[in-house]
Amino acid sequence: MRLSGRQFARYSRHLLMDDIGVDGQDRLLNSHILIVGMGGLGCPAALYLAAAGIGRMTVCDADVVADSNLHRQILYRQGDVGEFKVDCAKRALQEVNADLVVQAYAQSVSAEILDGDYQLVLDCTDNLAARGLLNRHCRASRLPLVSASAIGWEGQLLAFDFVRQQSPCFNCSITQSKPEAATELAEDCSSAGVLGPVLGVMGSLQATTAIAMILGYFQQHGELQRYDGKSGRWMNVTLSTNPNCQLCCGSKVDV
Amino acid sequence: MIKLLFFGRLGDATYAAPEVFEASVGLTAAGVRDALSSLYPALGRALFEPQVLVSVDRVIVDWQQPLLDGCELAFLPPVTGG
Repeated sequence: MRLSGRQFARYSRHLLMDDIGVDGQDRLLNSHILIVGMGGLGCPAALYLAAAGIGRMTVCDADVVADSNLHRQILYRQGDVGEFKVDCAKRALQEVNADLVVQAYAQSVSAEILDGDYQLVLDCTDNLAARGLLNRHCRASRLPLVSASAIGWEGQLLAFDFVRQQSPCFNCSITQSKPEAATELAEDCSSAGVLGPVLGVMGSLQATTAIAMILGYFQQHGELQRYDGKSGRWMNVTLSTNPNCQLCCGSKVDV
Repeated sequence: MIKLLFFGRLGDATYAAPEVFEASVGLTAAGVRDALSSLYPALGRALFEPQVLVSVDRVIVDWQQPLLDGCELAFLPPVTGG
């Protein structure tokens, strides 16, 4: 693809970077990313990816905008309350970048949605069932997966390059301690609360990681990155393939 | 001695978590958790939540991992929302 004069201006700060340049920007413009969940993580991740020139984005979320979303889901305005999140998101993202092609599904993730020509999947969901589904699909399809979560002051990011056969998976982390841990927790953002900007940190980290993966630079595959906004601490820990993981090692765990 | 690290909300002052634990032969991450639970019941309840992860020297391990003198044992509370 040849950049237009307007695109040269728009992406000039990327073009100035030796490790992005015209070739890297071209790769971003030709990328298709699936974002599952357009809540607190999906909003900042999608905004930065749209602004950065990702060419195509498929977004899915079954929810409508509620008042209780507005402290953290920064794509939505008060006037959007009651509308499907994905419709509002598509409108807002295309206001940021009119070149962006957005396919919006006002439904939970499904086999039909997963059956796309994506370069990468962002897991911006809020429940273990959806995370497990995305993990299984991406692992089977050898699609890179960037999964994030948050609660209270804390965030977590896991990035998996399933193109590599030996990559651990999301299920490896959940079942590391014991198989019965693979159950939904009682606490989530709707019951335990979450600080809005923590989701901005983690969603922005997902967008950064996605761009680094698409450009072939990302190195922290299978590392778990933790952030605690209250103390200002970060912690990276290494995850390895877990012998209790049904997907990676064939043990009897159902996630 | 084993250096203890309680990440995020597990490090809140209300839990009054200790910074070190005496090393002993055959001690595991689960053994440290059990001992802490009897000394600090509120911390113990938080450590027994599903999906609490444990790392030794920044590598996620099984709770039955034997611990060597001088290692860092970290507890990471679950984070699942979005």
